[in-house]
Amino acid sequence: MKRFLILVLALLFSTPLLAGQPIMMVRSKLKAADAMEVLKETVQEYGYSIAHVQRCDGGMAEFDYKSDFYRVLFFGKIDEVRGILKRYPEMAPFLPLKIAVIAENDETVLAAVDPRALAHLYGHNPVLQVQFARWYNDIRSMMEELRHYRKK
Amino acid sequence: MKRWLLILALISAQAALAAPDGKRLYEENCSACHQSEGKGGIGLPLTDEILAQLSDEYIAKTIRNGRPGRIMPSFETLSDAQVGAILKYIRGWSTKPAPVFPKVAKRGDPARGKPLYEKNCQRCHGKDGSGEGSGTGVTLSREREFMVMPAALNNPGFQRSASDAMIADIIRRGRRIGGMPSFRKKLSEGQIGDVVAYLRTLQPPPPVRGSEEWAGKAAYVMESPYGFDETVEALKQAITGANFRIFPARYLEQGLTDEFSVDTRQIGIRFCNFKELYHLLNIDPRLGTVLPCRINVLERNGKVLLVSPNIVELSKLFNNRELSEVAVIMEEIILAVMEEATL
Repeated sequence: MKRFLILVLALLFSTPLLAGQPIMMVRSKLKAADAMEVLKETVQEYGYSIAHVQRCDGGMAEFDYKSDFYRVLFFGKIDEVRGILKRYPEMAPFLPLKIAVIAENDETVLAAVDPRALAHLYGHNPVLQVQFARWYNDIRSMMEELRHYRKK
Repeated sequence: MKRWLLILALISAQAALAAPDGKRLYEENCSACHQSEGKGGIGLPLTDEILAQLSDEYIAKTIRNGRPGRIMPSFETLSDAQVGAILKYIRGWSTKPAPVFPKVAKRGDPARGKPLYEKNCQRCHGKDGSGEGSGTGVTLSREREFMVMPAALNNPGFQRSASDAMIADIIRRGRRIGGMPSFRKKLSEGQIGDVVAYLRTLQPPPPVRGSEEWAGKAAYVMESPYGFDETVEALKQAITGANFRIFPARYLEQGLTDEFSVDTRQIGIRFCNFKELYHLLNIDPRLGTVLPCRINVLERNGKVLLVSPNIVELSKLFNNRELSEVAVIMEEIILAVMEEATL
């Protein structure tokens, strides 16, 4: 009963973040370099480790393609990644998880695939669906923190 | 228990009765693309000039219908009250009133409109009305003072949202921000009606399809007849042969655990063609959410597997026809690379 009540309350108070959209997006008032730093801290506060940062802007600049700050943060939990890949090697392309950090003038757009949007490609596997929902909740919460974050 | 249910009922009633907060809804659903106060970004700027040309009905329908095949999603789950609240909030930025257009406009002749469209509109909006030019909004290196791409007139979302009278009004007045001239002196009222009638005949191109064999699957998976190290080497050679630049390979667990615990029998070979990347990011800057191109090599129970994301399926997440077309080409290349490495 208690669990049911918590679920109902969670549904009542949950704020949709581009509800039902396969690509989750938020805008942060921070400049991109600052947003990346705050995101790194936030990701770790949620219990994830940072795998690496892909510098797409740097790669393009090497080839003389002008670009704003454009980087992708890869992160994951080792036990989760191991457990999933052991049972589902076809999940390899989607691990570690990632969030793109894209500069737009003095603000930043953060974007990530809603993991639940992949469920149909895995035959709505119930184990993966639960995992996708957990990842979605974490990514959504992290992105919301960035949306509301104001520099002190 | 009863007390709990009462509290829940009160909370539900309060939530249902409270008027939707337009500012909050805009920030949650729209500001990521249109920026705070509609300055525009990935999405169209909602400036005074643009708002003065768009009816409330058009904006509400656009929120509902989105733009199938473009970045703008459809917000079908928002209630009428929520859409209304967003609209009211957006209108608050404008000093001009919302235009109201007649429900039924005088219909022109599409046959007469076709040559007029070809002469006056096609250069920017494209032969089939698909809007010519990659992507949308301002991002990466696009010129910020020229922020509006020519509208995709053949888009079903546009066709369902825009009334004949509103389209005619835009043709008459032009749109300074996107460089669209006024046709008031160039076309008569009858001719404008003919162009509008022709626009109504424009159809979106048929959807692109990838390989039948891999349709509906999350990843391309192939088994290699070679050992793990040989497969990795063969894969690198095949990727280089396909004109991609290879990044340093990364173990899938790298960075997530200490270097002594990393499983070295699952590795990601990452590669990129920067010219293509630049082009694609200009179409849709959100593409970074599925980057970079990567083929993983995994050893499982004595088998060596090559696993790469099904990019045609992934491209469907972006709701962008141009990206989907590129994905179909990339699928052929990636499958050829994987096949070459496992021959």
